[in-house]
Amino acid sequence: MKKSRFAPIYIIAVIIYLLIPLVATAIYSMFRKWTGILPEGFTLDHYISLLSNKAFLLTLGRTVIVCIVPIALTVVITLLALFAVTIYFPKLEKYVQFLCMIPYTIQGVILSVSILGLYAGIGGFFGLRLVMLIGAYCIIILPYIYQGIRNSMHAVNMPMLIEAAEMLGASKIGAFFKVIVPNIISGITVSSLLAVGIIFGDYVLIRNITGSSFQNVQIYLFLAMKRSSTEASAVFVIIMLVTFLITALVLYLQSRDKRLRMESKGR
Amino acid sequence: MKKNGNTKIYLLVLLPFLVVVFLYEILPLMMMIISSFRSETDSSVLFTLENYIAAFTKLSYQRAILNSLKITLISTLIGIAIGFLGAQSAHSSQGRLKNLFLTILNMTSNFAGVPLAFAYMIILGNSGVLLLLAETLGLDFLANFDLYTGSGLILMYVYFQIPLSTLLLIPAFSGVREEWKEANTLLGGRGYHFWFKVGIPVLLPSILGTMSVLFANALAAYATAYALLMNNYSLLPVNITGMFTGDMTTRPHLGAALSVVMMLLMLAAIVINNYIIRQTTKWKGR
Repeated sequence: MKKSRFAPIYIIAVIIYLLIPLVATAIYSMFRKWTGILPEGFTLDHYISLLSNKAFLLTLGRTVIVCIVPIALTVVITLLALFAVTIYFPKLEKYVQFLCMIPYTIQGVILSVSILGLYAGIGGFFGLRLVMLIGAYCIIILPYIYQGIRNSMHAVNMPMLIEAAEMLGASKIGAFFKVIVPNIISGITVSSLLAVGIIFGDYVLIRNITGSSFQNVQIYLFLAMKRSSTEASAVFVIIMLVTFLITALVLYLQSRDKRLRMESKGR
Repeated sequence: MKKNGNTKIYLLVLLPFLVVVFLYEILPLMMMIISSFRSETDSSVLFTLENYIAAFTKLSYQRAILNSLKITLISTLIGIAIGFLGAQSAHSSQGRLKNLFLTILNMTSNFAGVPLAFAYMIILGNSGVLLLLAETLGLDFLANFDLYTGSGLILMYVYFQIPLSTLLLIPAFSGVREEWKEANTLLGGRGYHFWFKVGIPVLLPSILGTMSVLFANALAAYATAYALLMNNYSLLPVNITGMFTGDMTTRPHLGAALSVVMMLLMLAAIVINNYIIRQTTKWKGR
């Protein structure tokens, strides 16, 4: 069996290839210098100085805020839209889907410059950079939120559940929020976490729209790179840890969901 | 009639969604398309093709388009090849190694942009740790590697394509049935016969679909290239951004035209992909 020997070797090779940049940079962040074959002088000073740096902590806080607002907004509008479309206007579903999929093809660069071109010149509410940024984030995460919510709505057979709740005296909208939403909450959580990952990793939208007036961690890393590579390596490790934490949470929730579904089917 | 009037009220439920999508997706895109036909020098001209003519004839924009296409296509092809073998290996193995592989693929699938560029600078940049290592070991081909070039960019783009292509292809392999492999062996075929005559044709729709995702992903990538090379390497997304937010004078109409070109490239990838899939899956309908 030639193939069975090939597969593990190939997998290990790809794993090593994928881990080298991560591990090397993580090691780099924990030593004073690395100019020979081995790094010298273990230290955690880079982390201590970074985590006591007020500017960095403020940046972290801003990143969190700029995650929460667009995600909450997008989840609510998508839930309402999918409710209306599934129950009352099934014919409109394909248009809603089309609108939700456009951001896939335009992506960050085009979206940011088109929003900038439209609203940058005008004053008032729409001209505020932060409002433009939140609007752009809503659009860029829309495909992921839409797919997550739609898939879980299909999984729970929403029309049937609503009908059952109506027979028991609930209104449609009441049934939606009291029966459907609790049932698909894990699907909403998973897609929101994916959205957190996207916004957390965003550089182009925030750079183009708010410039340096409103920094997130990616901009901070970009500027730190120019200052000192040791400081930047500590920022890098913190960014990667947060990203991995989000991914691990998504994987855990997805596997738990699958297991629960299998168990309930088995009964 | 009463029911009809009642349902109309529920359009209000759809309204917030439509407002947000209209304000931040439809309207900006439409205005950008209109703006791409306005003149950069004379604001009284309402319709002109000069921006598009400039985009395709001026050397610097031509280079941006060609560079973008080159890096996108090469990284897509290498990415799909590595991802195909990766998905096949993952499919034919199980247990802890497979789980570890999947976890690492998922973890690194979000690893792109500024952090990726930074990590590559640490390992392969000027005095990067791998370069120093290669120098000491006398591996000249690695020691002389220059990250700050097109090939450095391709290397980084391939990196973020690998987890994506592998993860997208793994589900498709469950469609390749063991019986087909057995039939191939019974008829005297070898492994490569199976993959070239049966496996790859069956997987072709998934492979093409994945390729169009990789293509879009690489074409739109901005942060990775900008963090490494700033404005020193001409790429479509970098040029477009420069025209809207540059330090010098901005050229929004020309930038809009280049954005439309980039959107058309994305669209072309999707349309070609759909066309080939329809051609190649006709046999399934029979």
